[in-house]
Amino acid sequence: MRVLDIPFMLRIIPELLRGIPVCLEITCVSMICGCLIGLATALFRIYKIPVLHQLSSVYISFMRGTPLLVQILITYYGVPVILRWINYKYGTKFDISGVPAVYFMFFCFSLCFGAYLSEMFRSAILSVDPGQMEACYSIGMTTPNALLRIILPQALTNAIPNMGNTFISLVKDTSLAFTAAVAEVMGQAKIVAGRSSKFFEAYIVAAVIYWIMCIFFEQILRRLEKFSRRFERDQGTSLKVNPAAHPKRTV
Amino acid sequence: MCEAQIICRLENIHKAFGQNQVLKGVDAEVRKGEALAILGPSGSGKTTLLRCINFLERADEGTIGIGGLKVDCKQVSKRNILNIRRKTAMVFQNFNLFKNKTIVENVMEGLVQVKKIPKNTAYAESIKLLTQVGLEEHVNYYPSQLSGGQQQRVGIARALILNPDVILLDEPTSALDPELVGEVLQTIKNLTHTGITMIIVTHEIHFAREVADQIIFMDEGIVVETGSPKDVIDNSQNPRTRQFLSRFTETLNKAAS
Repeated sequence: MRVLDIPFMLRIIPELLRGIPVCLEITCVSMICGCLIGLATALFRIYKIPVLHQLSSVYISFMRGTPLLVQILITYYGVPVILRWINYKYGTKFDISGVPAVYFMFFCFSLCFGAYLSEMFRSAILSVDPGQMEACYSIGMTTPNALLRIILPQALTNAIPNMGNTFISLVKDTSLAFTAAVAEVMGQAKIVAGRSSKFFEAYIVAAVIYWIMCIFFEQILRRLEKFSRRFERDQGTSLKVNPAAHPKRTV
Repeated sequence: MCEAQIICRLENIHKAFGQNQVLKGVDAEVRKGEALAILGPSGSGKTTLLRCINFLERADEGTIGIGGLKVDCKQVSKRNILNIRRKTAMVFQNFNLFKNKTIVENVMEGLVQVKKIPKNTAYAESIKLLTQVGLEEHVNYYPSQLSGGQQQRVGIARALILNPDVILLDEPTSALDPELVGEVLQTIKNLTHTGITMIIVTHEIHFAREVADQIIFMDEGIVVETGSPKDVIDNSQNPRTRQFLSRFTETLNKAAS
């Protein structure tokens, strides 16, 4: 008896690959929305904006304190209920069954990863030398201007390694979306496996696909990190950098 | 000394950090084009005083007047804090250059973002000024690629380009190793001929005597003595000043004899 049915595994690859676009969709939308949510909540907390500051804290505590799987299920079963209630109460006509399940996942993953990214941004912003902000003030810059031009670019540089980790986690966590009937890679694997009863093979193929995707993203993130650290001294280049290596900005 | 107009006036500045009263009612006046040096031992409040002038520290009490704008520290609006900051510029002890900007971008930043000058004009002006401080070859470097002395000269250029009413220099040479102090002091010395008004907190007594028009000696949050370098450094009648300066004057006398 064979342990693995290799021909079967090869045959099902295209079917599993069909889940990749959905997986990337969820990853990218959630990462972008999560970054915006995270940045906003991080600033609310650092500058202690009344009300928003407390709301942010509760939001982050809840999102980090509950499992993603539970959040997905709550979204999947809860949002339709809420929509139905709104329809009933206000006479609106939201088409509940017309909303694709993947939209729920955008919502859920954005909120969840927004919380993690928020903590990341907060520590990254706080790690920027306070002297940088003082220098901005000393030449008469306003706080928003200073944040945008000086503090955040440096904070993001600090945050990139952690953001990369989060991104990789996110890629893998999209597999949980199958519980909400979203046919991403894991969902496809489950369908194939259910049809043939070859669970072991199907899940191994899924694992390899996730692995390859993550290797690909790791490479991109490494380059991104290197690029973002170009203004730091310790970047593997010698102290006497050729000025030509830093082409003059077109002004 | 000519009776030029007073461009910066501090009255009765008080500042406490918690229970620690750092400034206990400091008054000072600087005339236009004058260099004021603030001397004093560590912990005497001189850096705090300097930082109160542009509201990096918020004084608890007192008034600050710079170039026609007078504010009461107790009830100053955000708008006026910004206005005061735009009439001053600061050179920091540890440079605080924008790490994510090249040298020329560091200098341009204030012109473009604060004074809203078009980028190409700002670029040309910045290059001109950087050439004056001897850094024309480094304009596209990042701060981390320069020596401390070079970084501080960029810091001076970044402050100077805004053409502020007063430049505040906070121990501009304290973070430099001895070999690099000279080039920075020379740069500051050259400024005194341009008619720019400066307030310098420094430990370089020799330098202060050379460039300053007026010297303030501070101790424990109050001004102990004010006067010309001659009065305060060479012929001080105040025991506390004499004690502080004794080490300096000793070496000076040795060198003379």
